[in-house]
This record gives sequence, C-alpha cells and structure tokens, in this order.
Amino acid sequence: MKVEVTTKRKFQELKEQEIKKQATNEQEGLDSESSTFQNTAEDVQRSKPLNPELVQAASAVASSFPRSKEQAESELLAQLRRHEETTDKQRRGGTINIRNVISEMAVKRQSPAQRGVRISNRISLEMDEDGQRIKPGRSSSRSFDSGRSLKAGKRLNIFTKASPETENTLKTVSSPTIWDLEFAKEIAAVTEQPPRNGFEEMIQWTKEGILWEFPIDNEAGMDDGAEFHEHIFLEKHLKDFPKQGPIRHFMELVICGLSKNPYLSVKQKIEHIEWFRNYFEEKKEFLQEI
Amino acid sequence: MAARRVGVSSWHRVLSLSGRCGRCSSTNTALGKTVENSEDAREEIVLPRRKTWDKLAVLQTLASTVKRDPTAAHYMFQDDPYLMPRNSATARLFSLSKESGRNAAKYIIKEFPHFFDKILAEPNIPSLMPEICTPQIEGVSEEALKERINLRMVKASVDLFDQLLQAGTPVSLETTNSLLDLLCFYGDGESTQEKESEEKEDLEESEVNASEQETPKRPPQRGSHPSASRWRENNSAERIFKIMPERNAHSYCTMIRGMVKHGASAKAYDMYTELLNDRHKADVHTFNALITAVPFLKDRFLERWELIKTFLNHMAQQEVQPNVRTFNAVLKTLRRCGGVGRSMAVPVIKEMEALEIEPSLATYDHLLSIFYRTVDLAPSGIISEVLDDVEKRSFTPQDPDDGKFFISAMQVCCDLKDIKLAYRLNKAMEKGDNWKFLDMDRLNLYWSRFFSLLCMMEQIDVVLKWYKEMSPSLFYPSPKNILDLLQALDAANHLEMIPSVWEDMKQLGFSKRRDLLEELLSLMSRDQQPEEIQLAFAKCAEDIKTVHEQSGKDQAPVEWTGSALGSVTVVFSRAGRTQDAWSMMEHFQQINRIPTDLVMDEFLNCAKQTNSPDEAIKLVKLAVSLGLPSSQKLKSRVEKEFELSENQKKALESIQSDSDSSDSDSDHD
Repeated sequence: MKVEVTTKRKFQELKEQEIKKQATNEQEGLDSESSTFQNTAEDVQRSKPLNPELVQAASAVASSFPRSKEQAESELLAQLRRHEETTDKQRRGGTINIRNVISEMAVKRQSPAQRGVRISNRISLEMDEDGQRIKPGRSSSRSFDSGRSLKAGKRLNIFTKASPETENTLKTVSSPTIWDLEFAKEIAAVTEQPPRNGFEEMIQWTKEGILWEFPIDNEAGMDDGAEFHEHIFLEKHLKDFPKQGPIRHFMELVICGLSKNPYLSVKQKIEHIEWFRNYFEEKKEFLQEI
Repeated sequence: MAARRVGVSSWHRVLSLSGRCGRCSSTNTALGKTVENSEDAREEIVLPRRKTWDKLAVLQTLASTVKRDPTAAHYMFQDDPYLMPRNSATARLFSLSKESGRNAAKYIIKEFPHFFDKILAEPNIPSLMPEICTPQIEGVSEEALKERINLRMVKASVDLFDQLLQAGTPVSLETTNSLLDLLCFYGDGESTQEKESEEKEDLEESEVNASEQETPKRPPQRGSHPSASRWRENNSAERIFKIMPERNAHSYCTMIRGMVKHGASAKAYDMYTELLNDRHKADVHTFNALITAVPFLKDRFLERWELIKTFLNHMAQQEVQPNVRTFNAVLKTLRRCGGVGRSMAVPVIKEMEALEIEPSLATYDHLLSIFYRTVDLAPSGIISEVLDDVEKRSFTPQDPDDGKFFISAMQVCCDLKDIKLAYRLNKAMEKGDNWKFLDMDRLNLYWSRFFSLLCMMEQIDVVLKWYKEMSPSLFYPSPKNILDLLQALDAANHLEMIPSVWEDMKQLGFSKRRDLLEELLSLMSRDQQPEEIQLAFAKCAEDIKTVHEQSGKDQAPVEWTGSALGSVTVVFSRAGRTQDAWSMMEHFQQINRIPTDLVMDEFLNCAKQTNSPDEAIKLVKLAVSLGLPSSQKLKSRVEKEFELSENQKKALESIQSDSDSSDSDSDHD
C-alpha cells in the first residue's frame, strides 16, 4: 500500500503549511484541527500522550467558539484520542476498513471542511490505477460528499498575486499574432446569435455599414472637413476683384454656380476662383484699354 | 444673387443654426453649446446642452420594446410560411442552409469580382465589396513574404521563404516568427481547406447530436483537438524551425502551441524541455496549451496531476501570471483525472480566488462535470453554490467552452430531479446577456431537458402553461418530451387532451414514430371514457389508422403491431363504430397476430349496443378460425345476449362443429 502512505504524506505536507499560518482563524482553525488529526496520528505513534501543541490549538479553537467552550475543547480532545486509537489499531491490524472507523466516531459537530478532507483522504486511499473504480466504497461516499463545498478549502499556494506595477511592466506590447486574432474570433463566436427581430437585424446591418445611420446625415461618406457655409458663401473670396463692372457681375455668377456644385471640394472651388483672378490679372492690360 | 441676399445681418442666425444641426457625430461625448441669439436679445434664451446619441441608440431602444412572440418561430425563419420549420431537425437544417446560402454568395463575389464592378453605392459599403486576396507585391523580398503571411497564404509563404533563403537574403527573426505562427496555426494545411473541413465537421457533429439528443449523458468528447489535421513528421514548420539561425522564446512557444493544437503532444513536451534548456521563458498561452495536452502525455491520474503541478510551478518560477484560461485548462484536465480531480478541484478554485481572477462560465462547467460525473455521486451543495455565483453576474465570453455551462447545469438539475434549482438556473440565464451563450442547438437541448424535468416534477397546469409558452418559439419538443407530456397527462388524469397532443405530434412530424403511437393508443384504450371524449378518441384513432395505411413515395407504410391494432379496435368499439372495428379485426389475420380477450369483449359489447348480430357471428367465426381458447365463451355469450334469427342460429351452430376440427390443425397461425 505504498500509494496510500505517500499520498497521505503529501496532503499532510500541504496541511502542515496551513497549520503554521492560520492557527487563529476560526474556520481555518477547524481545518487545521482535522489535519492535525492525521498529522498527530503519526506523531503519536512515536509518543503516546497527545501533542501539547495540539492541545493548545484545540483550546484556541474552542475559545473562538461562541458558546460552550469547555465542552468544545473536551470534545475535540476526546476526538483526537479516539482517532489516535483507531489509527493505531488499523496500523497494526493491516486491513483498513474505513466504514468502521467512521462509524465509530460519533462526531456531533463536523465542519464541511473536515468532511471534505476526510473524503479526500479516503479517495486517496482508494485511488487505483485509472479505470478501476471501487464499487463498494462508492455508496457510502454519498453521505459524505454533501459536505464538499466551494467556499471552504485550501488553495494550492503556487502563485502569488502580482502587484499592479509588476503587472504593467510585464505586459509587453506586441502586435497581435495570428493566434490572438483567431482566438478573438472564437470568443466572439461564443455569444453570436442571429437577430431576434427586425430591429436587431437593422442594428447588425448598421454595424456592418450596410444600413445608413439614423438620423440620416446626407453628408455621410463625404468627409470634406469643411462646413456647409464654406461651400455656399464664397463671397469673401471676391475681395480682390473690382466692386463693380462686368467682371464683378461675371464672378458673382461664377460663385453662384460653384455654390450649387456638390461635387467639388472647397479647395477646388477656391482654386477655380484663384484661376480666374490670375487670368484677369494677366489680361489687365487689355482690359484697361477698354 | 443668392450670395448677396444672405447678408451679414443674418450671418449670426446662420451660425447659430449650424451650431445646432451640423453633422451628427458618432461619438458619445456630449458637446455642450449654448448659443445666445443676439438678435432678439430681450431675454436670455439658454439652449439646453445638445445630446449626441450613439448611431444605434434609436434602434436599440426600439429593439428593447419587442418581446418574444410565443406563437411564432424564430425571426430568421420568418420569410415564407412554407419554410417555417416544424421540428428541431428541420430548424437546424434551415438555419444552416440560410448560412450556407450567404457563404455561397460571398464565394461568388470573391471568385468573380470582375462581374461586380458596376456596383456603386454612395457612400461605399466596404463589407459587401469583394475583398482583395491576391498579393500586390511581386518579387522575392521580405515585404512580399510579409504580405503573403498577412493574406494567410500558407504554401506561397513557404515557397517564398525558401526562395529567399536560396537567394541568400537573411530573413529577420520577426518575419520568421510570424511565418512560424502561420504554419503552426494551420498545421500545414491551407487556410480555406481548414475552414471547409471545420464546416463539414460541424454538420456531422450536429447530425450526431440530433440522434443522440435522447441520451441523458452528453455525447462523448471528441478529444481535445477539434482540428482534424495532424502534425506530420518533419513538416514545413519543423523544417524551418530547425534551419533558423537564432530562435527566441516566441519561436519555441509558437511551435509548442501548434504541436498541441494538432495532436503531437509528446513532441510539444520535448520542445518545452528544449525551451527550458535554452533558458527561455514561455508565455501564458504556451503553458495553457501544455496543460491541455497533459491527458495525452500521462495515463495515471496522479501522474497527470503531478505534471500539472510541475507546469504551474514552472509558471510561478518564470514569473508568468496565470489567467482564467490557465485555470480552465487545469480543470479541464482534472475532468479526466477521476478521484484526484474531485479532491483537487476545490484548491484550484481557491487559488483562483486568491489571485482575484474571476471564474468564467467554462470554469463552472468543468466543476460541474468533475463533481457530477456519474449519477451516484450527487451532492447538491456544489451546484447551489455555483448557481449562487452565476446568478449574481452577467457574463462575457472568455473561453470557447463557456457555452456548455447551461446545458450541463440543466442536465445536473435533471439528474438531481430538483425543480427549484432549474428555476434558479432559468432566471440566471435570462439575466443580462447570459442568454446569448446558448446557440440554437444548445437552446433546444436545454429547453427539452427542462421540459422533461417539469413533466416529472410539476403539476399539470404548470406544465401546460410552460408548454404553450415555449413551443414553438423557443424550442421544438423532442419525441421524449412528447412521451413525458403524455405520461404527465396520464398522471394528472387529463386524458382528454390527448387529441390535441396528437395534433401537435402530426405538426412536429412524429406521426410515424412507433413508440409514440403505441403510447398514445394504449392510453386511449386503457379505460372507458365519457361519451364526447370517446368520440374524440375515435377520430384520433381513425387518423392513426390512415397514417398506418398511407405510404408516401419512397416510404414504406408503418406496420401495424398487435397491441396498436387491438387498441384501435377497442377505441372504435367503445365509440360504437362497428364497421370500423370489424375492419380492424380483419387486419389481425393479415399481420398474423391474435387479438386479446379484451378486444373481443369490447367488440361484442359494441355489437350488442348497435344491435348487429351479424357482426357478432362474424366475430365468433374469426375467433374459431384463429383457434382462440375463448371462442367457446364468446359463442355462448353471443347465444345468450343477442336476439338471433333462425338463420343466424344455424350459422352459429355450424361454427361449433368447425371448432372441433379446427382444434387439430390449430397450429397454422
């Protein structure tokens, strides 16, 4: 039964760490209690009386109970002794019959963690090579698994929480690789649902750019950077032209036409006017003659 | 002239107008503009701050006003009433075909873009235009290689890379790494090839799921590597990896991830040892991949757990922070570790809590499968705690396995036969965005299981209320659901609803399923019912009779079984339809079955009621010809209860003499 001993020892190592750290916490105190059962069971092999450390721990736990402290303490110590006896017996006896052990222990108050630990020990004892499950033990596990809970339990103690600064420094910015892109696609596909009504369909189409955005903006897609008044009110560009006369008349008509033109950008319109200015400058001599 | 008219005096007014209704922006920042109208300045008009709305705000508000219509199918099927699906198989088929139609259209646009160059939309719609898939840069250069990698052309990139090496130009480490990424992701297949094979696999898997819908256990996992392509020995990725002059951590990591993805777990482990030997650090994704590969590396539970712990310790040593997917990978592997998994799952969860990593739905899914693997181990503590956590939060997807949670949770509720947990689970699902995790197949499975649980545990009126609400808009009942419903009706003594259940069955397309028909008929024929119900049953039975007799093209007609035939006869008899009952009796000989005594008695009762002694005599003849032991009793009954004319009495006598001789050769059945 080499398997049994080694796994038991492993669990105990884990628990021993716990005991050292959390001796005062009530909930954890109970945990350590249960673990010290196993721990001291082995210790006791070497020395018959109960471990004084254990007794201290028991009294600490009992003192943290809200009521009936002495009773709790005596109960715990009695339990320890009982457990030590039975493990003694079994060690010498050879055949391990968990059912007898547990039925002998008439424990009134048992924390879920205790039960969970006991179950895990039991499972470690019965842990075979894979695929071979022990049938008879299984039925009695039903009564005990109800105690397993997610709230009470010990952690693996492998990782430590990194402080936020180290987290930031560890994050190196790199362009997303193909793995990242495909993973993002997979994640998005988990909650992708077809639209449930017409409005949701329109929402989807708007996101893809197929449907126009409401309220309708008739300048969508045309990003000129210029407001509408810069397109229409082009009078200010006529500053350099004479204030009266046929040229002015002509330029005002040009401006009227340009203001109605939706296809040119503001820059192009100004260029048009500039071109006219240059043209008339050149022809100034001819015009002066007129 | 227009320019002149708009003079300076109204310039201010124009400005104020433009300030108010300029182009609407799609950002959410509220631009506050208070413009004072200088013209009528008698009182200060303070214009309120202008709100800018998201472009989708109006639509989202409208969408929130629309609730689910319980009598209609899903929106995506509402096109043509003929094409509305009637049961879950057709629903899946139709949605897949809709999707495949879209894919076909996209394919056409991609392959023949020259047919679509006259399409001009203003403003242009980029998502509908064909995408550019051919590389623009020609020639043998690193830029060309980068472009091909971006376009995901696997073979072309490899060829170009070889050409570059032959030409002697060194390729930078970064580019080589991205090439390795591409190769490891696609595992030597092409990108389009992988998509097609994935789609085919989806179709096959969905068919498998449809047939296995009835099994209470989930279908067995297909192994943790969904991609069908395997890692070939010495493929391009390995080759390029070997000839790389220098490698950094990224190269090793991507190789490991690729090997795990394509099933070469042992090689991945060797690669990892190489990485350690070169004193590099792996990143969190690599560790996640390695942890998922653990079941393929070791067989015994303890060894698997030891290996997981080794990896986790390495992570801690290399100062790589685990994320939620690390723990999900650990729990996923623990699922395949039996007892070790059960004992080590809780410490793993506590570790997650200690590191303040929020569990995702996949975490809870793995937990449930670890603790509720067989039906015997049934602690209800874990699931209520899980539900406590799930109820409080609205989840976002973080892991591809998140979608499986609701189904496995509902399965656990069904196994535990706990209806309250199921209600809680339902509420949790309807909260926020959680409903999105159930896509159509899963939705059907989820509701189907929920309905079975309801039929088992709840009163009939609650069951019927849910039934009316849920089908056909949310789910399509499976045959098992109909059976459960019939049993629930039976238990609540509401058998008068059976004809309406039969109508539903016909609509769902289950009218040819033999088990359902048997159940239906046996329920109808079991007890004597009051008058109207009996007539309704008779109509129903007639329907079923036509089902048995008609044969569609390529379909063999449904065969009669003895019990079915007997039940139909009984129902007809009780409704007083003697002719129909007699025609049923004649069927018995055709299928070589013997009617039970009950059938004979009922028929006689019917004949007596309708006062048709001829039929009674025919029955006795039939009984005698079949060599039934009860024929004597029947004969005496006929003699006693019926008023027979002379001819009929003679006929009855003659049958008796036949009976003696037919006893001897009564083994011709």
